This record gives sequence, structure tokens and C-alpha cells, in this order.
Amino acid sequence: MSTNAIADTSFLIDWAKYSKRDLLFKIFDTVWLPEAVLNELKSENTVMWVVENLTRGKMALFPELANYREEALKLMELSSRYPVRRLDYPEAYCIAVASDRGYIVLSENGAAYSAQFLYARAQVWRALEVLLELIRHNLIGKGEVYKYEEETLHRFPTKDLERLGL
Amino acid sequence: MEKNIIEELKKREEEARQIRRKQADWNYINNQPTKLKLALVHYIETGDLYVSAKIAGITVEEFNEQRIKARIPHVN
Repeated sequence: MSTNAIADTSFLIDWAKYSKRDLLFKIFDTVWLPEAVLNELKSENTVMWVVENLTRGKMALFPELANYREEALKLMELSSRYPVRRLDYPEAYCIAVASDRGYIVLSENGAAYSAQFLYARAQVWRALEVLLELIRHNLIGKGEVYKYEEETLHRFPTKDLERLGL
Repeated sequence: MEKNIIEELKKREEEARQIRRKQADWNYINNQPTKLKLALVHYIETGDLYVSAKIAGITVEEFNEQRIKARIPHVN
């Protein structure tokens, strides 16, 4: 499994609300953030967490590069051929980078989640997959999934929770 | 195989849409300025945070706070 991830805004703004948010770095050595993500953050809580981890070297900014930009646009076009939600540019950029560099995409975007099953090479993890990895490493208990939902006001599909025996 | 995956993903999207529609505070939403109201409805229908934020003319995180105030769950 890659020890590098690239996160979009939809993941960060929820994950930053979680009291055990720093456990993310027990799974990933580096969490890359596309530069544009910084413009989308607003709350003191999220910005402080991001800046703190940029300072610690646990997070790093991923530059906007022409080759990935082009690949992201291709992915957006490709996504429109399927009768499910199409990709937006920020998630498409993360997928383009992750596909090429072997990173894992961290996103709560439904289109990004669908993309990995249809046309994208990269793995896309929601907070749920991160929590499951933490459970697998005995870093948290199963009950933590519900705590995450409570603390972040995020809701995981009941089906997914049932399937995982939660 | 791909057809089954697409059907499963479409079903997930529809279920998430129904949950958002059902749990949203429509009274709050209908009392917002036009652009924000349209953006919140767009979010309910699509679950798309990025485009909804662009419609509202605010950052993704600011829009997410509006989503929470409108009691629209983030289902994924």
C-alpha cells in the first residue's frame, strides 16, 4: 500500500473535525494537497490543522502541473460517458496525480468514489476506508466509526456499515 | 460486469439523494438568498460540494457550513 496520499477539500474539511485526526499520519507518511485546496479552506480549525502539518512535514503542497491538468480534463470528459455523477476538476486532478504516482486519493466526492470502479486506476478512499485501515492496525476500535459520524456530522451509508459488520 | 457496477452506483446515488431531500431543513433553505438557496438545492440533488460552492460564490468549506446549517447530511 502506498504511504503517500493526495487529499481533496471534501475529505479535509470533515476529517479535520475528528478528534483523532492525526491518526491519519499513522497510515500515510505524506498527505499531498493540490495547491488550489488552500483557497477552499476557511475555518480556523481546518486551516490551523493543515498549516501545523505542513510545518511538521506531514502534509505537502502538490503543484499545479500541465501534464496532470491535461489528464484531469481527459478524466472529466471520460466521466461524462457514464450515467453516474461526473468528476469535477479538483477530484479529477487528484486522481490524475494518484494514478501516475501510485498515491491513494482521499475524497468524500461521490464521483471520485465511482471513478475507481469504472475508469480510473487510482484507489479512492473515503474517511470510512481510512477508519477501517486504522481498525485493521488496532489503532482504534470499531465504535470509532460512529464517533467519527457524530463528531463530523458525516453519514456513512448503512449498507456499507452492515457489509463491514459495523 | 460494468453494467452491474453502474446500476449499483446509480442506486447509491439515488439513495443518498433521497436521504438528503428527506432530512434537509426546507424552511431554512427557502429563506436563504437566491444564489445560496439554488446552491443548496443543487447539493441536495447531486451531492456535489465543489460545484455547489461555486454556484453560491463561496469557498467549499464555507458552503459546507451552510450545508450543516440546512441540516443536509453528507452521505457518501
